[in-house]
Amino acid sequence: MKAVSVKNASMHFGDFTAVQDVSFDVGEGEFITLLGPSGCGKTTLLKMISGFLQPSSGIIEIGGKDVTHVPPERRDTAMCFQSYALFPHLSVADNLQFGLKQKRLLTAERKQRLQDVATKLDLTAQLDKLPNQLSGGQQQRVALGRALTMRPSVVLFDEPLSNLDAKLRDSVRMEIRKIQRDYNLAAIYVTHDQGEALAMSDRILIMNNGRIEQAGTPHEIYGTPNTSFVADFIGDANILDAEVIGEEGAGRWRLGTQIGELIAASAAPPVAKTLKVCWRPEKAQFGPGTENTITADITHRAFQGNYTDLFVMIASAPQRVQWRDNAVGLADSLTMHIRPEDIIFLEAIA
Amino acid sequence: MTWRSWLKLGLLLAPGLGLILVFIGSVVYIAIAQSFGLFSLSGESEFSLEYWSRMFERLTYNRAIGYSLYVGFASAFLAVLFAYPLAVWLRRPFPGSLTISAVLKAPLLVHGLVAAFLYVNIISYHGLVNQIMQGLGIWDGPHRLQNDSRAIGVLILQTWKNMPFALLLLVGSVSAISDDVLDAAADLGAGPFARFRRVIAPLSVSATQAALVIVFVGALADFSFQVIAGPVNKQSLSQLMVFFKGYGRWHDAAVVAVTLMGLGIAGSALLALVSRFILRGGRLS
Repeated sequence: MKAVSVKNASMHFGDFTAVQDVSFDVGEGEFITLLGPSGCGKTTLLKMISGFLQPSSGIIEIGGKDVTHVPPERRDTAMCFQSYALFPHLSVADNLQFGLKQKRLLTAERKQRLQDVATKLDLTAQLDKLPNQLSGGQQQRVALGRALTMRPSVVLFDEPLSNLDAKLRDSVRMEIRKIQRDYNLAAIYVTHDQGEALAMSDRILIMNNGRIEQAGTPHEIYGTPNTSFVADFIGDANILDAEVIGEEGAGRWRLGTQIGELIAASAAPPVAKTLKVCWRPEKAQFGPGTENTITADITHRAFQGNYTDLFVMIASAPQRVQWRDNAVGLADSLTMHIRPEDIIFLEAIA
Repeated sequence: MTWRSWLKLGLLLAPGLGLILVFIGSVVYIAIAQSFGLFSLSGESEFSLEYWSRMFERLTYNRAIGYSLYVGFASAFLAVLFAYPLAVWLRRPFPGSLTISAVLKAPLLVHGLVAAFLYVNIISYHGLVNQIMQGLGIWDGPHRLQNDSRAIGVLILQTWKNMPFALLLLVGSVSAISDDVLDAAADLGAGPFARFRRVIAPLSVSATQAALVIVFVGALADFSFQVIAGPVNKQSLSQLMVFFKGYGRWHDAAVVAVTLMGLGIAGSALLALVSRFILRGGRLS
């Protein structure tokens, strides 16, 4: 059974199209992330699912029911807002029970759910406090708890960790994922943080200009991006224009690029004779190889702790290499090779 | 704090405190003193409770208290009642909202006396309302609408004049509530009325209290609307005060003035408490 189905949904604001013909499903207990740069339409899409925005066209189903024209208060969703959106005049306990009182649940049931969530989110000691007496992490937990007490079919997260510092973000991220699994909730998570998306999601939907550019598991998205936008947005990528010169046996192609001829190995053939290809900076292998050996001039180096970022020039094309071995030294150039299977075919060049 | 800090604080507060103590404090003091027979302008000054005891026995005075309280409370309630939905409606800008907002605030620019005369012209025996009602065939002949005994005219004028002021206060407060907070309430199952009752009203309680209190104090001490459009068989406390003053009975006038001040404070406190209690869903904290 699908928890959420979005079918050909579009959203126009006057002449501006925020979301264009988007379709996807979310299964029960599945955690999917809408990832994209600011203004790509991900929050608009989330607001369409929650009911705060009426789609200009298309259908939204929750639990198999068409809710396209159902107001937010009658949808079986709960949302965690970027700003937390806690009710400042209510105590933590009242915030957590707001939706339950609205649903007119019996007092015993309400108290049971409150206790359950407060214990799970470690909020028992904060129940009598007002939101402004809590830290950012605690406020985030209250926002999450307020959504969880409702036991909705789907929880919607609108960049909920963006106001937290890096360390806290990591721990709350794990907490959210654990709770989502414990309650077996379907979750739609909006973020522009690729690390967050890769770490948390069962599936990622990359959005660009109101459309879904690519959908897949974190490994698929990172390992086999379809377009240069996805390759560049998720992780770092060296993107090159390439021309297919010829086939070098089954699943192997010879390419002409700005950095010289390269051999690429892929199960899927290139989409066109001239196309974009990419390789990840951390895939460069130190020293010469049997194929794709390259000599690069190092123009700049940036120590990153557990690796060093090397900005190199290969035949006048700036590229980036990540070196795990920090003992790369102060050499002006380096020899490396790229394995054919690490070169990824992207979209055709128009 | 050291004596230097106290001195600095005192000097910083002096301009404000001076104004309050000299201009307001002295007037209040003189009014209270006069109500007890002191500061006499037309005879010997002597402390006495006679003016108060005589006033309490006077039917006109007791009826004026009831009438002024009625006008004060009803005007405050009606002004806020009309201003609240408008404030919620004008919370976020939309095409034309600026014009609507400006038109709604127009009464602030019209003097109360002018408004009262305009109103009287409209409702007079041969005025616009009577002509329209007869023209439509609803009334056979003209009705007497002016100076009605229930002070409906005064309440209409008070509401018309004070609603924009309440609106100014409420729009500021309601606009400060973030969209996310209201969206969160909707997401948790609160419909429009529940959002108003459980989120907007409690979060705008201070502005509501301010609007209620300011409109109440103004309407309680109303003179101009009462004289022009008010009932002829009832006097407001202000009218009574002016009546005593006109006959040189300064001590009696002072008793009425102090009564007005006392009722203003007590009524304001009551309104503030009751509105807080109601808007916070039965809680004062």
